[in-house]
Amino acid sequence: MHAPNEPSERRLKRIFGLWTARAFLALMGLGSALITVISLPYFDFETLPPFVIEKLPLRFEALWLGALRIHVAAAALGFPLCLLLMSRALQRRASWHRFLGRFTGGLVACALLPSGVVLAFDAKGGLLATAGFLLSALIIAGALLIGVRAARRRDLILHARAMRHIVGQMSVAVASRALIVALDALGVDPDVAYLWSLWVPVLASAAVVEWLSRRPSVFPRNRVQFNERIRRESFPFPLLVRIRARVRAVAGNGG
Amino acid sequence: MLACVPSLATAAEPSLVEWTQQRVIAGIVKPLAERSGRSLSRSRPPPHESRVRVPQTTLSRDAQGREFVPFAVDIRYGKGKWQTDTVGCAYRTSGNLFVKIGDAYYPAVLLLGKQVDPVAAVCQSAAARS
Repeated sequence: MHAPNEPSERRLKRIFGLWTARAFLALMGLGSALITVISLPYFDFETLPPFVIEKLPLRFEALWLGALRIHVAAAALGFPLCLLLMSRALQRRASWHRFLGRFTGGLVACALLPSGVVLAFDAKGGLLATAGFLLSALIIAGALLIGVRAARRRDLILHARAMRHIVGQMSVAVASRALIVALDALGVDPDVAYLWSLWVPVLASAAVVEWLSRRPSVFPRNRVQFNERIRRESFPFPLLVRIRARVRAVAGNGG
Repeated sequence: MLACVPSLATAAEPSLVEWTQQRVIAGIVKPLAERSGRSLSRSRPPPHESRVRVPQTTLSRDAQGREFVPFAVDIRYGKGKWQTDTVGCAYRTSGNLFVKIGDAYYPAVLLLGKQVDPVAAVCQSAAARS
C-alpha cells in the first residue's frame, strides 16, 4: 500500500532537505555579511567600538585587540568561503573546491582558531563563556583534522560530515547574535542571555550535524555510490555528457 | 552696575544633585543611547532603563582644590534589578566628566569610543587621599 507512494515521499523529502539547506546557506551568508559590516569599526584605529569598551581594562590590551582584528578578518573571509564550499556548484568543480578548501582550511587553522583561542580567555561571561568558545574551537580543530585526512583518503562522506561540523560551529556566530537580540527583546538579563546564546548554538549545531549525518537522504549510506556520484559530477564536461546522452536517447527512440 | 541687579539665580539654579544629573545625562547617558542601537553584535544590548544617582549633596575637592561631585549610573534590563554600570565624577566649574574603569579614572568620552589616557588624581577627594 505504501510502496507506490514511497518514491514521491522520498522525493519530497529530498526537495525539502535541499531547500532547507539552501535557505540555511543563504541566511548564514546574509548573517555573515551583516556581521562583517558591523565589525568594520574594529579596523578604525582611532576609536574604540562598544564591544571593546565594555571589556576594559584588559590584561593584554594590544594582544587582545590584535587577536580581535585577526579573528574578525579571518571570519569575514573564512565563513563565506566555507558556505561557498558547501554549495553543489563548487563541489562539482573538484579542482576549484580543492584549491579553495585548502586556502580556507589554512585560514581557519592559522588565523581564525589561534585568535579565537586568545579571545576566549577574556570572554565576557567568565569561565563558562571561555569553556563554550574553547569547545567550539576544539570541534572546529578536530573536524578540520578529520576532514582533511578523510579527503586525502578520498573518504568523501566523512570529509563532508567533518566540514559540516566546521560550518555548524561557524554558524554559531550568526545564531548566537540573533539569540542575543531575541533574548534582549524578551527582557532576559544580558549576562544570562550571553551564555545561553553561546552554549545553545554550539551544542545544537553539533547535534544537528550528527543527526543529519545519520539520515540517508542527506548522507547516502552507500559510500561507493556517493563517491561515484561526486566523481561523475566533478567530470570536467558534464554538459557535453548530458547532451550526448540526450542525443543518444533521441536517436535510440527514433530508430 | 551688575551688583545693583537683584539676583534671581539662586531660585532658578538647579541644586547640585540636579545639576550633576543633567550633566551626566547630557554627557554620558544620552550620547551612549544614541550611539548604541540593537544590532547583530556580541556587545551588551543598550539598557532598557537607566538612572543617574548622586550619592552626596555636597561638593568634594580634589588634591588641586577643584570641586567635583561623584555620581553613579544605574541600569536595568526588563523588570530586573538595578545594577551600577558606571561610576565617576563631574567637575563643577569645568563640567568635565570622568568615569572609573578598573582602578583608573578616564575622561568620559572614552565611553563614546575616543582613545584617551587615564587622568591621575581626579575624582578623589583630598581628604580621602591624605
